[in-house]
Amino acid sequence: MILSIDTSADETAVAITEGRNIVSNALYSQILLHKQWGGIVPSLAKRAHQERIDLVVEEACEKLLSHKKIKKNKTALEAAMKTVDAVAVTYGPGLAVALEVGIDKAKELAKKYKKPLIGVNHLEGHIYSCFAQNRSGNPKTKIEFPYLALIVSGGHTELVYLKDHLTYEILGETLDDAAGEALDKAAKLLGFGYPGGPVIERLASSVKNKDSHGLPRPMKKSDNLDFSFSGLKTALYYLLQKMEKKEINKQVKHLASSFQEAVFESLLIKTEKAIKKTGVKRLLVGGGVVANKHLRNYMRALVKKYDGEVLFPPYQYLSGDNAAMIGIVAHYKFEKKQFVKKPETLDRVPRLRLE
Amino acid sequence: MKRLSTRSSSKKEILTKTIETLKSGGLVIFPSDTVYGLLVDAANQKAVEKLIEFKSRPKGKAISVFVDWSLLDKTVSVDKNMLQRVKDLFPGPFTIILPSKDAVNKLLESEDRNLGVRIPDFQLINDLVAEFKKPITATSANLSGRSPHHSVKALLNSLSGKKKALIDLIVDAGTLPRRKPSTVVDMTKPKIKILRKGDMELKNKSVHVSNSEKETKKIAQDLLKQILSKKDSKPKALIIKGTLGAGKTVFVKGIGEHLGITNIISPTYVIEYEYKVNKFGLKSLIHFDLYTISDPEEFKYLGIEKYLRSSNLLCFEWGERAGEVLPLLQDKSRIVMITAEHVDEKSRKFTIEL
Repeated sequence: MILSIDTSADETAVAITEGRNIVSNALYSQILLHKQWGGIVPSLAKRAHQERIDLVVEEACEKLLSHKKIKKNKTALEAAMKTVDAVAVTYGPGLAVALEVGIDKAKELAKKYKKPLIGVNHLEGHIYSCFAQNRSGNPKTKIEFPYLALIVSGGHTELVYLKDHLTYEILGETLDDAAGEALDKAAKLLGFGYPGGPVIERLASSVKNKDSHGLPRPMKKSDNLDFSFSGLKTALYYLLQKMEKKEINKQVKHLASSFQEAVFESLLIKTEKAIKKTGVKRLLVGGGVVANKHLRNYMRALVKKYDGEVLFPPYQYLSGDNAAMIGIVAHYKFEKKQFVKKPETLDRVPRLRLE
Repeated sequence: MKRLSTRSSSKKEILTKTIETLKSGGLVIFPSDTVYGLLVDAANQKAVEKLIEFKSRPKGKAISVFVDWSLLDKTVSVDKNMLQRVKDLFPGPFTIILPSKDAVNKLLESEDRNLGVRIPDFQLINDLVAEFKKPITATSANLSGRSPHHSVKALLNSLSGKKKALIDLIVDAGTLPRRKPSTVVDMTKPKIKILRKGDMELKNKSVHVSNSEKETKKIAQDLLKQILSKKDSKPKALIIKGTLGAGKTVFVKGIGEHLGITNIISPTYVIEYEYKVNKFGLKSLIHFDLYTISDPEEFKYLGIEKYLRSSNLLCFEWGERAGEVLPLLQDKSRIVMITAEHVDEKSRKFTIEL
């Protein structure tokens, strides 16, 4: 069993996994939601990982104990660490000061309880989230390499080739904004709050995802597999400049839908190019934006065309940032004994790349 | 003499009382972006005479006025070529001399009937002018030939009882930051002249237009070269303001490329990305994006202080939201302000203040 920590951006996340089964998963925002605040998450500083990491570790351990019907000693942590074999942590990419909190905690636990330490790339986590299973081992997905992985989140947009477990080759990535970020910013331009991805999805589906404005498909003609979304954002900005406020309000659903279509089609065009280039027809699609059902449908249609298959994170909470996905990667690293040799030297790498 | 304090009175109360006093021809001591100022209704002869008496200022010496963009046209004549230069400087710590249109009392004009106008970067004054809807005098609250004051206490200590009796209202905002009076710029002739130097130097504000990403990067790189050429032990902070799609990230990418970093992407999601440099005496480039900062509390968790080392270059996107950390940056780093604006779909304008 592995205890994993991810503090790469907003979420303070801790999980305990066994193989690729998620035994226990805790997020600070959910603890708040369930316990103290009766459904309302207060607008506390979002990145105060230091103040809440212990609370989330304890929560993850309590969940494990109640599942395994183990009695707790003084703390749930003490009892839980008796069944844990290793500690894993995200060391990049992400916000430096946030990563540090998770890394320090992981080092502390590894040292105190004499467990090996495993360093994981946050992006590996998003890829491996597609292999996740619940406590009972469902869904029973078969893993068959090679894969093409597409990571689409608020901070990342990347196409990766996986020859086998833990071997990555970046085929393409965004040159500026991530896809999720582009959707957020479009929502902002249309007058909605942050994060705006879910709002855009709702507006778009209410007009059946029609594309009535024909915004440009960035990088469509470029031969490589890189993405760019900042020009698309600017195109929307100028489209809105030319419209009267009344007209924008009337058209807002169509504008949202057209923007989303432009983003998704760019993702599709490059993914299809990657399928043709590599001949790999099995896809893994991870990251916050895969929560979007319309995008899932697009991806399913794409692999159908090539008689391939696509895996998404099987549960909603696995598309956003979480630590369970880090634990799944760590399981494969554990099997290969890929431990951090000198745990005290593990340092955060804010712009860590997949290799 | 009535007194209000910005600490204990609401903004509404301050504006209402000040406007009441101005309308009845009164003299108000009021804070500004530079030093404490003397405010009277610029069109009211009696009020202007009272002001001149207070300052013991020889008649015929011009006194400038606060305006807003809608009053500017009615107060002075600005020809088309000059308008851009005016827009480059306003709002800011500048007084611009232009031909008067006689909308204010003649006692405020110079002998050749020119008038100094100001649009400060100071919300309280701008709100006041907007509500008063007429120009208001903008001279510093000191006697002619003496130095200006940054606190009401220091001002009152320098005044005789007779002078004090001329004051109708004081709006006290405590001790203002030590800034020099405004820089006075003469724009009455095609060749622009600086008549008095304040804190902000005109020659250090420059405007660049870019027609492509490549040109934007070039502008950024030229700026970087200029900054690096100066021997200065303070860390450098580029604060970039501008709306969505105005070219902020491209600007930082340009900076990065000159330093050998080719994988800069928007840090919006995580707020800050850090890059190792090892070139030109720099160790790190730290790329901030304050877009998702919704609560000033969050700055506490970003640990900006520890990045303020001489070998670091800090770039901030969405500098508009840097308010909370600006005093820290002003104190511990060399700041460059950059404003990015849309011109049209392809072109962007960058205003750089060194």
